Amino acid sequence: MSGDHADATIARRVRRLETLLEEKGVLSGARLDEIIDASLSGASPANGARVVARAWTDPEFRARLLADGTAAVRELGFMEGSYQRLRVVENTRTTHNVIVCTLCSCYPLRLLGPSPSWYKSEAYRSRVVREPRAVLAEFGVELPADTEITVWDSSAETRYMVLPRRPEGTDGLGEGQLAALVTRNALIGTAAV
Amino acid sequence: MTDRFPPGTAVRTYRHDPPHHTRLPRYARGKRGVVVEPEGPAELADVSAQGRGDAPVEQIYAVRFAARDLWGEGDHHVVLDLWESYLEADEEDAADER
Amino acid sequence: MARINDVGGFQGFGAIDIGEDAEPFHADWEARVVGLVNALRAQGIFNTNEFRDAIESMPPSEYLSTSYYERWFLAVRTLLERKGVIKPGELDD
Repeated sequence: MSGDHADATIARRVRRLETLLEEKGVLSGARLDEIIDASLSGASPANGARVVARAWTDPEFRARLLADGTAAVRELGFMEGSYQRLRVVENTRTTHNVIVCTLCSCYPLRLLGPSPSWYKSEAYRSRVVREPRAVLAEFGVELPADTEITVWDSSAETRYMVLPRRPEGTDGLGEGQLAALVTRNALIGTAAV
Repeated sequence: MTDRFPPGTAVRTYRHDPPHHTRLPRYARGKRGVVVEPEGPAELADVSAQGRGDAPVEQIYAVRFAARDLWGEGDHHVVLDLWESYLEADEEDAADER
Repeated sequence: MARINDVGGFQGFGAIDIGEDAEPFHADWEARVVGLVNALRAQGIFNTNEFRDAIESMPPSEYLSTSYYERWFLAVRTLLERKGVIKPGELDD
């Protein structure tokens, strides 16, 4: 189903379900509004970018981040109270990482914000584990032939984020300026930075 | 609890094909891989999905597979997070990192 | 037994539509469905694994022809009916 008519139909059914649940005392509209706001509040790729910028400028933080991602991002106030584990995987001159959830669409929402539609698509999920180099090229990422690619398929409780390589010529930049260079796609692995 | 499969262990995924929910994708069933590290224990999704509240807690392992071992071709690797009961030790050649 | 969500390595899904989403949700009802799932999960009506199972158990033709959040809505309806929170057909227009 697609298009406005289909949307209106589903919207009506969703409202009907909310009404039913409220009538049955299962869920109040106010509680639902609260939860909708809480789901996305504070979730943004700016968070992941801040983590990356800190790792680029602080080698000890970088080491902690790679050893225990969950604990390290909590130092910056992220993912507190989350039951999920975060694993950060670093790109190097000879290795490149890319993240997927082939079975559904698991994603580190708190650090990257809402996932893009392409990440949830059958096309991405089916192809990136099978032909990552071709998929990355479609995203404009051309890697040297000797770069080893690792695809991380988030099939359990761990959520993954890529630590991209710091671009050349950025020595003079402060953390804030470095964070501004980091794109959401780089944190998934479908961009170099 | 001591992990059954320490990092570096050669493992093989079961040829598991259940009628219920599972988190072992088809492309990685009956395949050989190497344990990267434990990811932390959690309730087995297969049982938890049945809503009974009695799911066993098992260690989950990040296991690295060579594309060549998954599909017969490719230079890349795929890492999957797999519950312990999806895995058995691979008794054959455990020496080389693939 | 293979389920339709298990698409790793599957052929034929074509080029990836990389276009950026203007908004995380294309319509308000999508945000409300996410809220519903989170609220019902928080209340213990169902857990994440049951929720995924309900999506995966959809007939393949239905899975492939519905949008991502519509699948969420259909899964919620299935679970609520299965658990007796709503009666089968009670939601239908």
